[in-house]
Amino acid sequence: MKKPKNKKVICAMSGGVDSSVVATLLKKAGFDIVGIFMKFWTMSKKNDLIGERNKCCIPEAEDRAREVAKILNIPFYVFNFEKEFKKKVIDYFLTEYKVGKTPNPCVVCNKKIKFGLLLKKALTLGADFLATGHYARLQKRADGIHLLRGKDKKKDQSYFLWQLNQKQLKHILFPLGNYNKIQVRNLAKKFNLPVLDIPESMEVCFIKTTVNDFLAQYIKPKPGPILTIEGKKIGQHQGLPFYTIGQRKRIELSGGPFYVVAKNLKENTLIVTHFLNIKSLYKKSLIAQNVNWISNKEPKLPLKIKAQIRYGHRIVSATVTKKLKAENFELTFTKPQRAITPGQSVVFYQNQELLAGGIIAS
Amino acid sequence: MKKKIYLDYAATTPIDPRVLKIMSPYFSEKFGNTMSLHSLGQEAKQALEKSRETIANLIAAKSDEIIFTSSATESNNLALKGIAFANQDKKNHIIISSIEHPCIMESAKWLETKGFEITRLPVDKYGLVDPENVEKAIKPETILVSVIHASNEIGTIQPIEKIGKICKKKKVYFHTDAAQSFGKIPLDVNKMKIDLLTTSSHKMYGPKGAACLFVRKEVKIEPILHGGSHEKGLRSSTINIPAIIGFAEACKISQKEMKTENERLTKLRDKLIKKILKTIPNSYLNGHSKKRLSNNANFWFEFVEGESIVIQLDLLGIAASTGSACSSAKLEPSHVLLAIGLKPQQAHGSLRLSLGRWTKEKEIDHLLEVLPKVIKKLREISPFKKN
Repeated sequence: MKKPKNKKVICAMSGGVDSSVVATLLKKAGFDIVGIFMKFWTMSKKNDLIGERNKCCIPEAEDRAREVAKILNIPFYVFNFEKEFKKKVIDYFLTEYKVGKTPNPCVVCNKKIKFGLLLKKALTLGADFLATGHYARLQKRADGIHLLRGKDKKKDQSYFLWQLNQKQLKHILFPLGNYNKIQVRNLAKKFNLPVLDIPESMEVCFIKTTVNDFLAQYIKPKPGPILTIEGKKIGQHQGLPFYTIGQRKRIELSGGPFYVVAKNLKENTLIVTHFLNIKSLYKKSLIAQNVNWISNKEPKLPLKIKAQIRYGHRIVSATVTKKLKAENFELTFTKPQRAITPGQSVVFYQNQELLAGGIIAS
Repeated sequence: MKKKIYLDYAATTPIDPRVLKIMSPYFSEKFGNTMSLHSLGQEAKQALEKSRETIANLIAAKSDEIIFTSSATESNNLALKGIAFANQDKKNHIIISSIEHPCIMESAKWLETKGFEITRLPVDKYGLVDPENVEKAIKPETILVSVIHASNEIGTIQPIEKIGKICKKKKVYFHTDAAQSFGKIPLDVNKMKIDLLTTSSHKMYGPKGAACLFVRKEVKIEPILHGGSHEKGLRSSTINIPAIIGFAEACKISQKEMKTENERLTKLRDKLIKKILKTIPNSYLNGHSKKRLSNNANFWFEFVEGESIVIQLDLLGIAASTGSACSSAKLEPSHVLLAIGLKPQQAHGSLRLSLGRWTKEKEIDHLLEVLPKVIKKLREISPFKKN
């Protein structure tokens, strides 16, 4: 990192290991740091919002973040984003499930909250940059800023950042992009940060137990028939939002296992099969909607890429074949892919670089 | 780092060193429990009663009409709930203003769920309650009228005496939350026809953890805390002697210095208001220009967020507030500012500056130099600004 001269950085601090190390690294590098803790969700049901508490931004986490800020001797403030988070993230999440999709709320949160609202506030406060603990790298080149995978392959979070644009990237720092998690933990130890015993947060922050438990609170179950591919009724499902394409869990029928092949929203039927690798679970192509090219420039098509159709999934060879209407693009895989799930993000890589991403259409 | 400038005295005040000095023996030497028979206990009891007298004096009450509590919030809860439940056999109606402190607003809301009827009186654009509206709202079922003496947010001082007289005439109990005004404005519970009055120590250079509720002798009220029958059975709890000793000392000092301090602060406040409205375009004063606490100034600025101003000022070493300290952790626009007619967007652009005993003119001058620049800078990057 270059030695900064009076550069002001707002650092998003969650009280976890990663963001605490980020704040410390930047402080040591000589930046003028302000720590911000974001409250996403603490409303009680009484207030007609969400009953359960977000498991990340709990008071203990806030206290830890404040403690780290105190150790670093930096100003620290708490921003309350409850309302916006509910509106932009939770409502989106529920709406998507209701129409049979499997959304990815973190992608939306990054765009609208962390690098939307918070970035805007940071700039309003006169900051030059907003720093977070994401495992991803940014590279400034003559033609703009490039977004690369984090060096730690296991932790890489570039998948969640595909909706960012050049305007945002210009003001973002990902200081952990070149570290792996073990190094970060060791740094926290070395810096004596009071965050060592905190478990890794991996799942969606507002899901306390399972997605279905969460959905059950807000979506009225609408049971319907479970059919085989041949159209034979073999049981009853609990409501289509509770099932995801390709899944085997929760189909409580004897004579299993069964796998979800399709959800027919019109008929309210769940189509299942005995066969893990049945052909109809495989698709050769998909349509990516609302595609965002990080460079802000559409490349020439067809374009050979590596695609990832869900977080943590392996990458596979594919070609972006053509642009359809609006920002929709058609993607063809070299080999057919199992359980392509509408609502999830598909992202395009070339080597280490994340070129673009979109939402998988139904 | 440069010395910080504190302009948030309405949130809380630092303790006066004179008060701290008086308190210190009561932590370790004179630490007795007022309920003990032995001499240590008696010494504490004596100190307690002397403090009671001092505080009663400041509002022209009798000393056995002062009930010590831990906070203005507790006093206000006791006043509303205690009166409501003691008189519910015959009546069930309570009148409050729409710009009360959250502890009154929320107590009233809770009482509503218990079957009481609440009327919330509107205020005009300065935050003033019209006494005529009080009179009109009173009905045979009315038990209590509660109107805040001076607003913690916008500093507006209510026509308390007029409201008191109406309540007296209509034979309805009258409570006022004087947490912000006590020690700053002369108060006379007889002249103002007040039946219950809430005060607080930490808003007037006393310690936190002490407050009182004046309850006129003939008022029918029930406790909300039950136990060892302290405070005439109205508020059981071991008496917090050091804090009460400090509270009483703070009262003595305030009584002595009230007049000159008020004159000094009024001058500073008026200078502050005049200069800000003049040097910052599209800035407006919240509340009344004259009928306001001598230490309170509250503005709203177009195209900026109060939160951003407060953080920016804090980074420059100046402590201020968007509204009341109690609401600054929320995103909701202040109910007080909405009640005086501001739109949510405007309410979000508000800034409260409250002065106090150690505010110096050069600090105000420094703020006047800094604030216009801060607002200008924020407006340049403001997401609200329409070109």
